[in-house]
Amino acid sequence: MRVARFVFWRTLRGVLTLLTMIALTFAFYFAIERQPPLQFFYSQIGRGVPATPQQIAAGRHVFYLDRSKVGLYLDYVGHLARGDFGRFMTIDTQGKVVDAGPVGPQFFAAMRATLAILIGGGLFVVLLSLPLGAISGSRIGSWRDRIISFAALVLVCMHPMMLGLILRSAGQDVHWLPTTGYCPLLGHMRPTSGFGAVAGPSCGGVGDWTLHLLLPWLTFALLFLALYTRMVRARVSQTIDEDFVRTARAKGASQARILGRHVLPFASLGVLTMVGMEIGTAIGVCIYIESVFSIPGLGTDAVNTLAGNGPFLILPAALAVVVLLTLIVVVGNLVVDALYAVLDPRVGAGGSEGGRSKSLVGGVF
Amino acid sequence: MRTTEGSRPLGPWRSAWRRLRRDRGAIVSLVIVVIIVGLAFFSGAIWTRVVGHSGDEPYLYAASDTQRPVGPWTHVPTPKTPTIDEYGNLQPPPKGSPSTLFVLGADGPLGRDELIRLLDGLRTSLEIGIGAMLVALLIALPVGAIAGYFGGVTDAVVSQVTETMMAFPLLLFLLFANRYLLGDIRSIGWGWEVPDGAVGVAVLIGVFTAFYPLRLIRAQLLTLRHAEFVEAAHMVGASSHRILRRHLLPHLAPTLLVWGAIAIGTNMLAEVGLSFVGVGVQASVPSLGTLLSTVWGTIYNPHSYDSHAYTPWQTIFPMVTIVLTVVCLNRLSEGLRRALEPRSNR
Repeated sequence: MRVARFVFWRTLRGVLTLLTMIALTFAFYFAIERQPPLQFFYSQIGRGVPATPQQIAAGRHVFYLDRSKVGLYLDYVGHLARGDFGRFMTIDTQGKVVDAGPVGPQFFAAMRATLAILIGGGLFVVLLSLPLGAISGSRIGSWRDRIISFAALVLVCMHPMMLGLILRSAGQDVHWLPTTGYCPLLGHMRPTSGFGAVAGPSCGGVGDWTLHLLLPWLTFALLFLALYTRMVRARVSQTIDEDFVRTARAKGASQARILGRHVLPFASLGVLTMVGMEIGTAIGVCIYIESVFSIPGLGTDAVNTLAGNGPFLILPAALAVVVLLTLIVVVGNLVVDALYAVLDPRVGAGGSEGGRSKSLVGGVF
Repeated sequence: MRTTEGSRPLGPWRSAWRRLRRDRGAIVSLVIVVIIVGLAFFSGAIWTRVVGHSGDEPYLYAASDTQRPVGPWTHVPTPKTPTIDEYGNLQPPPKGSPSTLFVLGADGPLGRDELIRLLDGLRTSLEIGIGAMLVALLIALPVGAIAGYFGGVTDAVVSQVTETMMAFPLLLFLLFANRYLLGDIRSIGWGWEVPDGAVGVAVLIGVFTAFYPLRLIRAQLLTLRHAEFVEAAHMVGASSHRILRRHLLPHLAPTLLVWGAIAIGTNMLAEVGLSFVGVGVQASVPSLGTLLSTVWGTIYNPHSYDSHAYTPWQTIFPMVTIVLTVVCLNRLSEGLRRALEPRSNR
């Protein structure tokens, strides 16, 4: 009951966040686009010929300038609740507005790629930081601990693009490891990037998918290693002096068994919950990883849409990107908060912040 | 309590300094940071006078269409007129022509001195990092203080806005703002010391990273405002403004110091990231980000490694510089945290 109430309030805040981001996007769009840039559709207008009223009307319709803004917002949110992201519109040569396809599919495909990187990368972080943190924490101050801590510190101070490029050049020497392109998990397609085609035979299926994502996952994990290794290390060093560990050792359990069965489960809880706080940063890192490894994900779509070399902002595309990214962040935070609420009895009883500690500085990269 | 020769106990800053002195890693980092900052701001100009050429002058014998950029510690010949044969190829210089020293080799396809560019770039990046930190502080202090001290509706609104903005990857805000909102601010510079565009980038990064110190300040004030000394000051008749300024803000100093050190490093990395996406400082202005992005290309225009126009040295030096600076800032911040907020089990 306590958990249900907590989850309900967090969901509400998440929805509020989503609605705010959509409103912000609309606001920015209408602040920027005041007149339809018809010169990109009709070359004669670019050369100075004045536009006909029909062309102007079509242009305003395609750029959403001829409707009430609040009405447009409510309409969009209503469609979104049904899962409909709207349709692209363009103007054909006769000057009529033409439907140019649904907005959803390409962004859903991109979202699959980005989620693959995020979730796989997150699991990689847990996979790497648990053993490293355990080694570090069980012998604090030893040379092993110092080396691991120093390596983690250096890694967190690198830029994702730097690390990605280093790993990619290293990966190019390993011939069986593909370094660019993305293969879908289900179905086959030619590997492409978001900025241009990457040549290669069509691929798909679990094996290809994993191989193409190995290096991105490794890059992702190495960047976030420092924080989690240190946290696991702290937990391990705390619990290793507890009485129950001493009991286990007295009964003859080996160090490995002690770590694996008694100490690490506490630490992994902490890692899981800290992941939730970093999702915004993680998406930022994803943008660079997608660029380096030529993966057509939401990050590259976001860059293309929001700041690309296109001459004007396309509202449905920008909205789709913003909505999907915010959804990832909100749902991720929600899942982590719910997990924390289930496992930590202090959460939800008092305020909604619970026992979660906040990180000092998020990375902007 | 530790005491000096008299019987007065050491204040919090003195005892923190003592604790910091004992932390070897933090002291090493502090020394390196001081050296780097000192190097950055003046040594570019000094070295230019020592060597006789600036970081903007391309040298044909250092790198050109037919010649790879020269490596570290090269004496680049600088004859008055370069000898070019009838096909337009560069011929070896005549004997006895003067030469200048390129300590770290030449850069890119243009043949400029890499060391001076590196020092100038370090200066630009540091300026952006520190500037962004100050801008963030400038925004976060008043807003956070008001939200934290007065609580209630103000606090609820501010914290909802903060959470919303922080949920979204900030890089996209930065991209969007830089592309569409910043046109005229971009070219503001301040003569020789602050290159064009650095101010715009610093303000941009500062505005969008203000949420972190804002959250810290608000959280601390929310707990502090119920303290007894605040009540006492209130009873004596102090205004809220005076209580905030004289009694509460000094408590924030340690947290903000710790945050500030990390923030400078993070902002420098953010500047590098912006250069990679093409919206940072202009590519002709040296900064650690542009030094790297001229070699690797931006997201829109990734270069495949062209071994005729670039050498590995051009990536190694900026990368080492950035990583060294950020690592030392992080280590320093960690040392400050341990010194200023001692825990019993460290």
